[in-house]
This record gives sequence, C-alpha cells and structure tokens, in this order.
Amino acid sequence: MTKVYVGMSGGVDSSLTAALLKEQGYDVTGVYMKNWTKDLPGMKCPWADDLADAKRVAVQLGIDFKVFDFENEYKHKVVDYMIEEYKRGRTPNPDIICNQEVKFKLFLETALEDGADLIATGHYARVENGVLKQAVDTNKDQTYFLYRVTEKALKKTLFPLGEFTKPTVRDMAKERGLYTAAKKDSQGICFVGQIGIREFLSHYVEQVAGPIIDKKSGKTIGQHDGAIFYTIGQRHGLDVGGGLPYYVVGKDMDKNEVFVTTDLNDKTLWKTDLILASVHWINHTPTEGICKVRIRHRAPLTPATLSFNSDGVRLVLHNAERAAAAGQSVVIYDGENCLGGGVIA
Amino acid sequence: MDPKVVAAMQPYFSENFYNPSAPYAPAIVVRRAYQAAKDSLGHTLGVKGDELVMTAGATESINLAFHSIGGHIVTANVEHHAVLEAAKQYEHTLVKADERGLMTPTMVKAAIRSDTRLVSIAIANNELGTIQPLRAIAEVIREVRKTRLAHGNHTPIYLHSDASQGVGQLDINVARLGVDLLTLNAAKVYGPKQVGLLWAASFVTLNPQVRGGGQEGGIRSGTENVAGVVGFAKAMELASEHRKYESDRLATLRDTLQNKLMAAFPNAVLSGHQKHRLAGHLHISFPNLDAERVLFALESRGVLVATGSACAANKGTRSHVLTAIGLPPKIADGSIRMTLGHMSNEENIAQATMHIIEEVRREYARVQS
Repeated sequence: MTKVYVGMSGGVDSSLTAALLKEQGYDVTGVYMKNWTKDLPGMKCPWADDLADAKRVAVQLGIDFKVFDFENEYKHKVVDYMIEEYKRGRTPNPDIICNQEVKFKLFLETALEDGADLIATGHYARVENGVLKQAVDTNKDQTYFLYRVTEKALKKTLFPLGEFTKPTVRDMAKERGLYTAAKKDSQGICFVGQIGIREFLSHYVEQVAGPIIDKKSGKTIGQHDGAIFYTIGQRHGLDVGGGLPYYVVGKDMDKNEVFVTTDLNDKTLWKTDLILASVHWINHTPTEGICKVRIRHRAPLTPATLSFNSDGVRLVLHNAERAAAAGQSVVIYDGENCLGGGVIA
Repeated sequence: MDPKVVAAMQPYFSENFYNPSAPYAPAIVVRRAYQAAKDSLGHTLGVKGDELVMTAGATESINLAFHSIGGHIVTANVEHHAVLEAAKQYEHTLVKADERGLMTPTMVKAAIRSDTRLVSIAIANNELGTIQPLRAIAEVIREVRKTRLAHGNHTPIYLHSDASQGVGQLDINVARLGVDLLTLNAAKVYGPKQVGLLWAASFVTLNPQVRGGGQEGGIRSGTENVAGVVGFAKAMELASEHRKYESDRLATLRDTLQNKLMAAFPNAVLSGHQKHRLAGHLHISFPNLDAERVLFALESRGVLVATGSACAANKGTRSHVLTAIGLPPKIADGSIRMTLGHMSNEENIAQATMHIIEEVRREYARVQS
C-alpha cells in the first residue's frame, strides 16, 4: 500500500485531506509540523489546540499520527527572512517561503526518510505529472503560494482538495463527522495567531517616528512610526486626517520617510513594467510571449507579455496594476497551469 | 458545580449584591451571610470562621502560607506545581516520594534541617490519589519542636497541608490532622472556581500578600467574594454530609472498574498506593500506548479522562509526578487518570468500562499492526 504522510494543521482542509486519502485506500499517517511560534502579549498562538485537533481527527480516522519539530528551521528560513525583507523596505510573503522551504522541502524530505512514498497537504491546487494546476475552486486557488515548489517535490505530492470547492469541502467534512468540520478557518500570520504583521514586526524592529511627505507638494503632512510598517499602495493606517484618502507611493528606508499621494493616477502607484528577480520555473523556462499573471493571492489573472532581456525576466502588464510592491511575488500562468514566477525587483 | 451550590450563590449576584462592608442596612444581610458561610467552613475544619483567610483558590492560599513563613522548606517531588513553584522562591529540600507516591514520616524527618521552618505535604496526591500519613508526619514535627527546644533552637517549624483533594472523602479536622496551616479549594468539591482558603493556627503569623482595605483580618484585602464563599460553604456542607457513604460508594465503583480493566489488560500498570488511596481515583497505564489517543477516542464517546502527559509526541510535557515515582516513559505516556465523583453510578461506570476496554484494544491493535 502506498504510504502517504499528510500535513495536518488541525484545520478542516487538512482533516478532510487525510480522510479522503484513507478512503482512497492509501496508508495514511497524519503529521503535525511544529513550526516556530511566538506568544505575544495578549495573543496566544493557538498551536497546542491545533495540534490536539489534528490528533483528534487522526484518532477519529484511526491513522498514525506524528509530530515533526521544524521550529529552528522555520524560524531561520521563514521568520528571519521575513523580518529581513521588511527591514529592506520590501513586502515579502511568508506563506510562499514556508511552502518552498518547509512544507515541500523539509517536510517532504523528513517524510520520505521516515518511510513515506508521498506527501499530501490540504492546499487548493492540482498536480498532474509534476505540473501544477489551478484548483477547481478558482476563488480558493492557492497556486500563488506554491509557485516556488519544485517539480521533483510536486511529483511526490497529492492535493486531493484541488477538485473541490471550499463549501463542498465543509460539507464533506460534516458528512464524515470530522471533529474539525465546523472549525473556523485560520487567519492572520500562521506563526503568531491572529495578529497583524505590523503588530508582529513591532516586536522585532525599533519603532522610529518619521515624516509622511506629500509627494506632490514635498510637504510633511504627518508622522509615521517606522517606514518599515508601510507598503506601497497601502491606504489605511496613515493617520492623516481629512480630505481625500492618501496612498503610500514610496519609501526611503535610509531616511525613514514615507511618501504619499491622494492622486490615484500617480504613476508609482500603477505599474505595467515589471522586472522579476529570484525567478523560479516549476517545469521548464517558458517561451516569451503572452501569458497570464497574478500579483497577489486571489487577484484575478491578468494578461502580460513575458520576455527575457539583459535585466532578467521582464513582464509588461497589459493593464496597469495598482500597488505592485518590491518583494511581492508575481506568478505566471499558461491557462490553468502555474509555470512559476519571481519577485518584483 | 452542584445545582444546590449554584442556587445558594444566586442571590448574592442579584438582590443581595451589596458590599458586605457597606454601612447601610441591606449590606448587613450580606455581611451575616458571609460570616455564616465562613463559620460553616470553619466547622468542617473544627475551627472558628474568623480563623480562615479566604483566597482566590488554593494556589493563592499556598503562596500566602509559603511567603508568610519562608525557608528552609521541606516538601515532596510529587507535590502540586503550586507548592513546588512557591517552594522554589526559598531554600528548600524535595523529599523523594516512593514508587507509590508515598511520603513516610521517616523520609520527612530525614529532610528536616535545624533551620527548617515549613514542611508542606498535601493530604493526598492529585494525580495518584495516594493518601499521605499526615498525622504521623505531624508527630515528627512535634518531636522536632521538642528537640529544638531542648537544644535552645528557637526556629519555629510548621506543618502545612493542601487538603483540597481530601474534602468529602477524608477527615480534614485540623486538630486531628495535627497541621498548623491548611489549604482548601472550593472547585474540588463541586464549588466555584477561584475560591479557596487558608487556615493558620493562632501562633502562626501570616504576612499579607495583597494589601488594601484590610478585609480578612488585614491578611487578604479586597472586597469579599460573597457569592463564591457562600457557594464554597454550601459545597463543603454537601460533601461532608455524605462523606463516609460517598467514599465507600466511590471505592466500590472504582474497584469494579479497576478489576475489569486489569482483567482485560493484564499487562496494565496501576500507580498510586493501592490501599491508602482516594476512593474516586484510578491511575492506570497501558504500556506502549499513546494515552492521548485513548483520551481523544474516549471523549468522543462521552468518557472524559486525564493523561499523564499532554501531546505525548511533544517533549517535556510528561507529568512530573510520574517521573518522580520512576515510571518509565513507555509506561508514563500510556497513563490514564480517572476520577469518579457525584455523577458516577453503576450504570455509567459500566458503560465507561466498556468504552475504555474497546478503545484501548483498538489502540493496541493499531500499534501492533
């Protein structure tokens, strides 16, 4: 019997994943990945409860259950990376790095060493012969987070939920009486529970006040508590009162300055020409030409022209996108296939 | 909580909500009820109500006792975290309990130094149910006092006991126990949470840890938890009423459960003193099993048990009591603690027995396949 290790987080998606695979005749082992967590004042990370829930479902299904301790690696590869990126004034995505470094590398390797033939997770995505495809539920599709996973890893991976919509998943979990069937979806940063990134970062970087400058007039119109906390395109949290809403259009990390505008047509706010760094192609380098791209999770696919030049990978968006910030990932698709992508330089 | 306890507390949340210290007439009713509740609690201990300091639970009571007396302290490695953590603040010696979790008077005596001020031993161990020979230990303390006096050593020595586990099953009269300080907790007798008390003999000086308006004789300030204390008194009354009958009843049920489980799983390991044990306690280990899996399987069938380690796959969460009595990890991690109580009866214990046997069998089958 094929041995599958399922990453179980204690949520409904991974619970059903394990249940479905068991029904399909696999020899299933549930694995809770103990990643790095931090209890911040007033916000306890719910990992112990999540671990217990994952184990409850494993018991319910009568499958083996293990805990893989990835605390050090996670802190090093994901958390530190994220803090560093923010310090450089960029907007990283911890989920993408977590998938690349932890779930589809460390977890996969550890599982295989432990005797697994395959791994599975509750991601909404599909794999066919090592090709990553969008989930049937396009609203839930999580391929954006998976574009840095290797073909080799995908060939060892099952995503049983890719064929279903989220409401169907809930229904199927209920039908099976899974303990987590009605459990709320998790929110916030996975390793600190339900707090904002700003709150999290404030524990790692000094909050230094600086000016908020109106880009057009060059006048200081307010104070911020650290340029690091702001992202290009951001509207909220500026504490600049009155009149039209302000949008962040630029940052000077060295001077700790944040530039804003009320002009939604400001050209720094809208980008068509993107250069990608740290490019990763899942199967092979695609050919130049027209493709579809996504610049954030759940954003609609938008047409672009891909080319390779001396700067590296260039994408010209057919429709300008707002708030495409440095450090953010752009993921490239050909039809339903996710080809890979890169990070906005 | 016992519904009778809830009913007794109810008026003090609504019509009799007055602060007992208030000067107007309606407050007098509340003041009297509070005093009556303390008198009633005192009655169970064989002391006056005024001798009791009401606290927010046993942990506070223990901390008040320890911080009033200080070190050197003698206590046991199987004691509750509240005792161990309070003791850590001072110079202390942890007596190593035997494999049944028992502390003998000889063991205690050996740990007492010439500067020992406090000995703290719970009346019974909360995990194993082992009942400690408190009276004999009190005898040791009396001997030490005599010897000290004879040698001109004027360091006082007191015996403290957390008797929370014993209420409703054991005699907790302080004179008969021979203790100098006693801690009780309401939640252990189907009373409200965050309500407890400390009794100290008149010759023990307590130092307030919470200062303010001077309530509880100035030892524990803060507006009285009237409803909580009334509920505690009611709970204690109910527990004391049927003490003998209830502990016999629970012991019979527990023994039936134990015998059936041992017959089904001859390799299971019983922990705790098999003779001197709380009537409602059963601590049993199924070697090589992950008890937490059994717990989860049982909870879905309406049987609630505790384990000797939480998240067995996770390091460092094994019960310090099981480690202290030398239970090997393979046995400790398969430990289940069952406590029987008011709601237990022949029928539901028979049901529970069946569920436990089934689930443990299922787990053994899974592990062995």
